Amino acid sequence: MKGMTSPIFGNLDWTVTPYTDLLQQVNSSTIVSAGAASVLVLGGIAVLVLFTWMGWWGPLYRNWLTSPDAKKIGIMYVTLALIMLARGIIEGFVIRAHQATALGTLARPESGLVSPDHFAQLFSTHGTIMIFFVAMPLLIGLINFVLPQQLGARDMAFPVLNQISLGLTASGAGLVMISLLLGKFGTGGWTMYPPYTGKDFSPGEGVDYWLWAILISGMGSTLTGMNFAVTIFKKRAPGMHFMRMPLFCWTSLCVAIMLIYAMPALTVSSAMLALDRYAGFHFFTNDAGGNMMNYANIFWMFGHPEVYILILPAFGVFSEISSTFSGKRLYGYTSLVIASMSIAVISFTVWLHHFFTMGQSAGVNIAFGIATMIIGVPTGVKIYDWMATMWRGRVRITTPVVYLTGFFLLFVIGGLSGIILANPSIDYQVHNSTFLVAHFHNVIIPGVLYGMLAGIHYWFPKAFGFRLSETWGRRTALLFVGGFIFTFMPLYVLGLMGMPRRSPTFQNPDFMAWMYIAAFGGVLMLCALASLVWTFWTSYRNRLALAVPGGDPWNGSTLEWSTPAPVPEWTFPRIPHVDKRNDWGEKKRAGDPWKGPETYTDIELPANTALGLLITGGSFALGFAMVWHIWWLAVLCCLALPGLVALRGMRLIEPKIIPAAQVEEADRRFRQQVASLAPASRADEETERNRGVPDISEFAG
Amino acid sequence: MTKPNTGHINPQESAASEIKSYATGFVISLILTVGAFAALLSDLPNTWKVVVICTAALLQIVTHMRNFLHLSFSGNQSREDLLLVLFSASLLAIMAGGTWYIMSDLSGRMHQTGESGSSSHRALAAYSNNGKPQQVWLSNVPLSRN
Repeated sequence: MKGMTSPIFGNLDWTVTPYTDLLQQVNSSTIVSAGAASVLVLGGIAVLVLFTWMGWWGPLYRNWLTSPDAKKIGIMYVTLALIMLARGIIEGFVIRAHQATALGTLARPESGLVSPDHFAQLFSTHGTIMIFFVAMPLLIGLINFVLPQQLGARDMAFPVLNQISLGLTASGAGLVMISLLLGKFGTGGWTMYPPYTGKDFSPGEGVDYWLWAILISGMGSTLTGMNFAVTIFKKRAPGMHFMRMPLFCWTSLCVAIMLIYAMPALTVSSAMLALDRYAGFHFFTNDAGGNMMNYANIFWMFGHPEVYILILPAFGVFSEISSTFSGKRLYGYTSLVIASMSIAVISFTVWLHHFFTMGQSAGVNIAFGIATMIIGVPTGVKIYDWMATMWRGRVRITTPVVYLTGFFLLFVIGGLSGIILANPSIDYQVHNSTFLVAHFHNVIIPGVLYGMLAGIHYWFPKAFGFRLSETWGRRTALLFVGGFIFTFMPLYVLGLMGMPRRSPTFQNPDFMAWMYIAAFGGVLMLCALASLVWTFWTSYRNRLALAVPGGDPWNGSTLEWSTPAPVPEWTFPRIPHVDKRNDWGEKKRAGDPWKGPETYTDIELPANTALGLLITGGSFALGFAMVWHIWWLAVLCCLALPGLVALRGMRLIEPKIIPAAQVEEADRRFRQQVASLAPASRADEETERNRGVPDISEFAG
Repeated sequence: MTKPNTGHINPQESAASEIKSYATGFVISLILTVGAFAALLSDLPNTWKVVVICTAALLQIVTHMRNFLHLSFSGNQSREDLLLVLFSASLLAIMAGGTWYIMSDLSGRMHQTGESGSSSHRALAAYSNNGKPQQVWLSNVPLSRN
């Protein structure tokens, strides 16, 4: 620790960067951390230069950063998530590379690529990033993009609040990113259990980075949940009853409810830990009446619903693609709705299974163990429903279906190992081992990651007007499947052999063979990441050949496929009237679905605003100031943030009006284009003949 | 956000009553908050302090829902409002009840009759005094980090 806190710079000085460590001591660990910081700095400079060179700052500001359009906000969420995903996967690879070189001896217990402290930072940031800044923005982004279109709404219920939610998430991600360059991140894992993370045992800025990233982005997620819920309750198109909503909307509703009720628990536990660290409170300390076990209790009260927050949107995506790509109606719609809702509610009753071994009596354990096993039932119902949907369908093996198949095969294994862990007596044997690590990666990667990537592939043409390359998409999917199997299946074995999780070193040479296999899996995951990037790039280069202006490349059945691709900012020229479930599909069955509305009216859209951007800056500065104890800046931000909101509340803001003539012109042009394009049959789906106008006589959904 | 949210009702008529409702809510909240602090600083026995603070908290919730969130059990929104309140109450009951269940069980297994916090305090003191951990201290440490 440094001596004095400067009134201007707080605890910041020249010694906090990894370069200082590198100058003091050159070894693989300091080289890795200085390299990571350099990637951050050089990447930032490269982006600055590129945007200035291309003159992109103006369009970026006008069309994206100040836009309250839910579709654009969704795309920005996904972009943020993919950037963070790159860091998360690379960190995961470094973790695997370290453990593959970490066989210690009694004489020299510490070995390996990075130092133990650095390793602890790696698994802490890896977990924090993957959960809060990859999985969450991915699903929130996808819901933002898809939900209003599927509901037949023009926008979210609170567009500007949506922008602020994105801003808060982005500043949380920014805090985690800047910790690469300035100071260190916490070493307590993504859960940051006290008392280890209290001031006594973890002085310094590490835990504070985590706390403020979580507090700020958690606030954003709570607001997002409210926004989704109100949108679903209030903004559905006329005739869109609850039981006519596509399944993705149902899972979004579950996610919204869970965000509203679960995120505050995280905010509470983090705020209590922050009070312990900053204000000398004793919520979770060892002495003075503190009880650190209550942290685990409150944290997992959030943490378990969180797991289902992550997985349910993926379930929604799989419901959509299993139906679309097998050309069949979704099997068991009602059972899927009931299963989703059951999962959402039961997920609030199982949190203790994350700390079976904390010392409570067997009766308590078994109560939560049984609840945990019960939650497997609705999930099983869903898997059978999707398989029944594909049964005897004409399944096209597109990229999303490759992900879906990988999900079927692998997620069931992960679910089964979860049921095994739900038994407290087994959990006592394998808890805190890599068996657990294998289990949760086995549900999160095939579940959330595959689901979200499948969703991105599925809805990408709607966002940008061209399909993604199927060849490269399938290669990416297969690499992610292979990478997962090679990385995490060995961890099951290692866990049963007794390898503790998060251990920077071990002395058992029998582990090595499995470690090498896992490290090879890590290489495959890196290849998958590269292949994902290449998929976007090569598809962008071939965007003319892949363009689907007709807007319905997969012969879909839900409302979002009725609009052009890329979808205009007003989405629907007129809010559709919904008569049936899968309304777009029913219109296809009735013939001539692309009939334009008779009259057009002016469309009112929320005006652009820089509020979200200002809140982003303010909240990032607040978090940064609190981490480094720069009190004047923290006070300033605390005054500025509510001030900005109040200032906006006092001003009358005129909406943006799109004149009817402009809508009519664009819409007429779209209808003519659809009429002029040759319909593509199922067999032509992956060829250049697919211009987004499907052969509706083939529609069977 | 783009439309004033009083668009559906007569602004002239409702403004006065709305302000009155907000002001009443604010005053009640203020009294309840001050009351909770006053109870803490008073000479009441601990049990009574807890009872007063919990009651004030519950009344605070009701005030917020009534005066700030405009929930009501009559009128055309009543069914939704009732469902919302019932659902929230059941989830909160699961969370609070579960916490009670878990933490009291843990506390009961601390080998001491006192509160878990003070026991750990004593254990820590014992640890620093004797230089040797006692059984009580060990049982306080969460074993699992999963």
